Amino acid sequence: MTAGTRRLYVPRRVDVSAGEDGAPLAVEGVAVEALREEWLVEDRWWTPRPLRRHYYELVLADGRDVTVFRSGRGRWFRQRA
Amino acid sequence: MMEGAPYIELHAHSAFSFLDGASTPLELASAAAELGYPALALTDHDGTWGSMEFAQVCQGLGLRAITGAELTVETAPGRRAHLTLLVESGAGYRNLCRLLTHAHAHTRDNTARSAEQPWVPLERVEEHAGGLVCLSGCAGDGVLAGAWEAGEWRRGADLARRLLAAFGREGFRVELQRPYWRRDRARNRRLAGLAERLGVPCVATGNVHSHARSRAPLQDALVAVRLGATLETSEPQRRGNSSSVLASPRAMAARFAEHPDAVAETLRLADRLRFDLTEGLGYRYPGSENPAADAELAAVCRARLAERYAASRRRREAEGRLERELVTISHLGLSGFFLLHRDLLELAREVAREVRGAESARAVLPPGRGRGSSVSSIVCYLTGLSHVDPVEAELFPGRFLNEEATSMPDIDLDFPRDIREKLIPRVHERYGADRSALVAAFPTYRPRGAVRDLGKALALPPQEIDRVAKTVGFHEGANEIERCAIAAIGARRAAAPGWRALFGLCGEAMGLPRHASQHPGGMVISTLPLLDVCPVVPAAMEGRQIVQWDKDSCADAGFLKIDLLGLGMLSAVERCVEEVGRARGERLDLSRIPLDDAETYESIRAAETTGVFQIESRAQMQMLPRTRPRNLDDLTVQVALVRPGPIQGGAIHPYIERRKRLREDPSFEIPYEHPLLKPVLEETLGTIVFQEQVIEVAMELAGFSSSEAEGLRRAMSRKRSEAELEKHHERFLAGARSRGVPPRVARRVWEQIQGFSGFGFPKAHSAAFGLLAYQSAWLRIHYAPEFLCSLLNEQPMGFYPPDALVHEAQRRGVRLAPPDVNRSHVLCHVESPRHPRRRDGNPRISWEIGPSAGEAELRGGLVVRIGLGYVKGVREEEMESLVEERERAGYRGIADLASRSGAGRDGLERLAWAGALDNLVATTRRRAGKSPISSLSDPSAKRREALWETGVAATGARHAEGTQMALPLETPGAPSLQPLGEWGEAIADYRSTGMTLGAHPMALMRGGLEPGLLRSTDLERIADGASVEVAGMVVARQRPDTAKGIVFMLIEDERGTVNLIVPPPVYDRFRAEVRAAPLVRARGRLERREGTTNVLVAELGELEEPEPAPRTPPDVSRRRERRDGHELRRRAVAELRAVAPAGHSFGRRGR
Repeated sequence: MTAGTRRLYVPRRVDVSAGEDGAPLAVEGVAVEALREEWLVEDRWWTPRPLRRHYYELVLADGRDVTVFRSGRGRWFRQRA
Repeated sequence: MMEGAPYIELHAHSAFSFLDGASTPLELASAAAELGYPALALTDHDGTWGSMEFAQVCQGLGLRAITGAELTVETAPGRRAHLTLLVESGAGYRNLCRLLTHAHAHTRDNTARSAEQPWVPLERVEEHAGGLVCLSGCAGDGVLAGAWEAGEWRRGADLARRLLAAFGREGFRVELQRPYWRRDRARNRRLAGLAERLGVPCVATGNVHSHARSRAPLQDALVAVRLGATLETSEPQRRGNSSSVLASPRAMAARFAEHPDAVAETLRLADRLRFDLTEGLGYRYPGSENPAADAELAAVCRARLAERYAASRRRREAEGRLERELVTISHLGLSGFFLLHRDLLELAREVAREVRGAESARAVLPPGRGRGSSVSSIVCYLTGLSHVDPVEAELFPGRFLNEEATSMPDIDLDFPRDIREKLIPRVHERYGADRSALVAAFPTYRPRGAVRDLGKALALPPQEIDRVAKTVGFHEGANEIERCAIAAIGARRAAAPGWRALFGLCGEAMGLPRHASQHPGGMVISTLPLLDVCPVVPAAMEGRQIVQWDKDSCADAGFLKIDLLGLGMLSAVERCVEEVGRARGERLDLSRIPLDDAETYESIRAAETTGVFQIESRAQMQMLPRTRPRNLDDLTVQVALVRPGPIQGGAIHPYIERRKRLREDPSFEIPYEHPLLKPVLEETLGTIVFQEQVIEVAMELAGFSSSEAEGLRRAMSRKRSEAELEKHHERFLAGARSRGVPPRVARRVWEQIQGFSGFGFPKAHSAAFGLLAYQSAWLRIHYAPEFLCSLLNEQPMGFYPPDALVHEAQRRGVRLAPPDVNRSHVLCHVESPRHPRRRDGNPRISWEIGPSAGEAELRGGLVVRIGLGYVKGVREEEMESLVEERERAGYRGIADLASRSGAGRDGLERLAWAGALDNLVATTRRRAGKSPISSLSDPSAKRREALWETGVAATGARHAEGTQMALPLETPGAPSLQPLGEWGEAIADYRSTGMTLGAHPMALMRGGLEPGLLRSTDLERIADGASVEVAGMVVARQRPDTAKGIVFMLIEDERGTVNLIVPPPVYDRFRAEVRAAPLVRARGRLERREGTTNVLVAELGELEEPEPAPRTPPDVSRRRERRDGHELRRRAVAELRAVAPAGHSFGRRGR
């Protein structure tokens, strides 16, 4: 990246508690009200940094609509998507 | 209703979706069976290419195959979408075939006849809805889901209503998919809502593209290959994740937890879809139901027998054989089958008359000839389907025709290429364009193609891909790609992630079909329109069409396949006969040539067989001086000997050894494994050489019935199965024991049979090929220039590239001349002093058999003139018009040529580079008042001047309507130009024609090479076992499967050729050089055995121009001159390396 530019929508670590099926139950302590969508991105497997993200678009109990994903290493991130 | 599995997959793609599916039908079916599916649908894109194979393998696995396809439909002008169609009944299958045929009908309408995307208008689908179940299409491109994705929901709903009206409530379903894309839930909710409003059920499908997760990356890469893009740039079109892998029924039910009815609907639908492709499709071949066929065939054969055997002492024997064959044929209901083949041959006769012309020297030749086991049948001989008398040749039709046969016999017919080209469209005309078609073939991924395709998808550097692909070779095993890559680009680069990914992908891709093509000559003919039994699509060649099944699927469907094959050597022999007529005025009848010509057999025994059919390979040449064939029977064995079957069965060495012993001692007793084998193995000296000998041995030694023995042969060949073979093994040992054969003997013979399981020729086939081998050897000896000329005109064919053919002929004294615009034709031809070129091209022809009386005088004057068509990159029509115009009046100079010939500047420059304008330079020089060409110190100056003049001459302008001639303005004289020199000329020759008639590159290099580097002829005086070093251009490389990793190379220097044997450890060390270097030097041990000479290589490297000797002359200017000379040669060698013809590579196939 050149000086003066910055990446948009950079994923940020987020605290998510998930159920047995892997779906989020709460995000940063706020309960998940509804699961709107769920999708999977598996790409760049041919590079040293393969991408595997399981995305969830959620409606939280406080009314917010958030998108989080679980990375291939099992870490949770929040992303504006 | 299906019990057990909660879900059945109704939408799956195999690799027959061509670059949009990463598993074979067998892999999909096996995985489905393992996962507990009771049924599975195959729905490849716009085709049923893999459906029969799928149905057959499913049957074997106890899985029910559901036939279907994903059809591309045009819903509005220019707007395409997918529908999933599943077959419920025979009527539905016929409708699917018609729809697929229609979808492909326009795909070759462009001028290049390249394949375009198939599609069919929605209206056509509406007309052919009967018997089909229609699902609304996939999540991305489906008729409904696609409309929703595009924000055209109202339009999508309208299309759904049309489909509902066409297919009815029982035949239309809204398809839900869950590819784990971002808007799955929203899309499926919307689709389910529409289904409810329409009153039709939803059905869940998985849109499967591979059978296992390990194939998901390959699916991604194949999409990139299909789009001609890289993985990076094809991201929007790829599936995005691995959810299109076949999952278990339970996992799929869980995936659609929100739509349980859609999951249950898969079971209800699968239960209804009972159409079975393995049951009869109603196919019949013409004549199959003719009640008079038996009588007609018998009448034809008896009449012909009376003529053919009128004076034969074996007439009674022939009559007995004919009657027995007729009874068998009648019993099998195959009389119509033979009459159909005879009808085809009559058609071929008509075509041959038209192609050859009544006056041609070829007119006396039959239109084609049989090959394969059918040559053993007297019915085939008498109906003209074979040219070998099976009574005289002692051929027996057991393998071809027996009472217990369960499948249609194979009759393969060879034709010269030009006749075959015309015959195929004529077959379409005769039997109806809708009732005849070629059989499909599916080129599969092999290592070299996989490296190129997948390497590009991975965006690996093109130069590296090229180097690795060249090193891998066409037939290398997939597991060797990594080692080849390390040899080509180094271990460090080969360890890069992209290359690691490539090695994995190549391993997965091996053997998968890449695209559809046409079988070399297999045709199916039907009494019904073919498109009611299999979709028919246009072929790349105009006037041809292909069914969507390959030969195995056609055989499984019970189709009669007729092989009309093009055989290069047959064409070459015919061309040769014609050329002899033109050059010498002799009319040869090959059926009347002496079959015991001493000179011909002498050359065969001396392995002087370059260009001769079947016995020109390095392996054959090694064997000929040891087997020493003396007649056609010997050649019949010889042709069959160098095949994987006899090699692996251990027949070669005993056969050679026993022939030698018999030569030395005619009373030598052949040691048979058991006396029972003597009658069946006598002609091959106790070894198994012919395919039918496997059958005969099993029958004689172990008491197999003919059908049991045929079953054994089949188990060993195409459909080889370990379990089935083991059953035959046990039966063989038990049968042999009951006949009193000791167990150890039975075991040894079984080992030979098992070893034979690789490919072998039937004797009848060998007899047909042996005769052609003799005929070609005879022509090579007695009509050398014409034979060479015909080989050059039929390329590509055979073992040797044109450059090697030319050099070998030159060493035998055949004279050749380079292309010349004032003398050459488009093809190569023989210039004759006796028959100067005539305007009508038809010299007076006399009837003479064999070499003519004044041959010596004539032979000396015959010259093979290289044709203008040999110049790379010239346009054929330009050369044709150039020759036509020259026939009116010869060209008087380059300006005249440029103005009249119709050739463009590019074409003229290519001709000039090839030396075809050299002789026009003389005219121009004379006009310009310059000294004559003969006064030039270096004749290569002509080519330089020709190039200069071509550059300044005004050429005609090409338009769509034709070429507008330019004014013949004289070109100004060329300035003083540096000649090309010998090196420059050789490089220009190779670059422009792929061959040089001038100095051999090794002769040019020789001065700079160490004196210790031997020439090919030097090896004759070197002792066996001595250390030698040789160098040359690589003519051929061979790595046969049967040779345990040994590579055989043939290199050529200015005096001849040298055989190199590269053992596996040496190959591993010098892999890149062995695979790809055009010029090599090799050090090793000389091995001489029974007339053959080889170098067993210990070290091998690229041949380089050596550094100048350290002893430098004192004079500075001479030192510089020497250094400059060295530098020039070094550059020349490097350039030669780039343009030298690639040696032919042969060897391993498949995985």
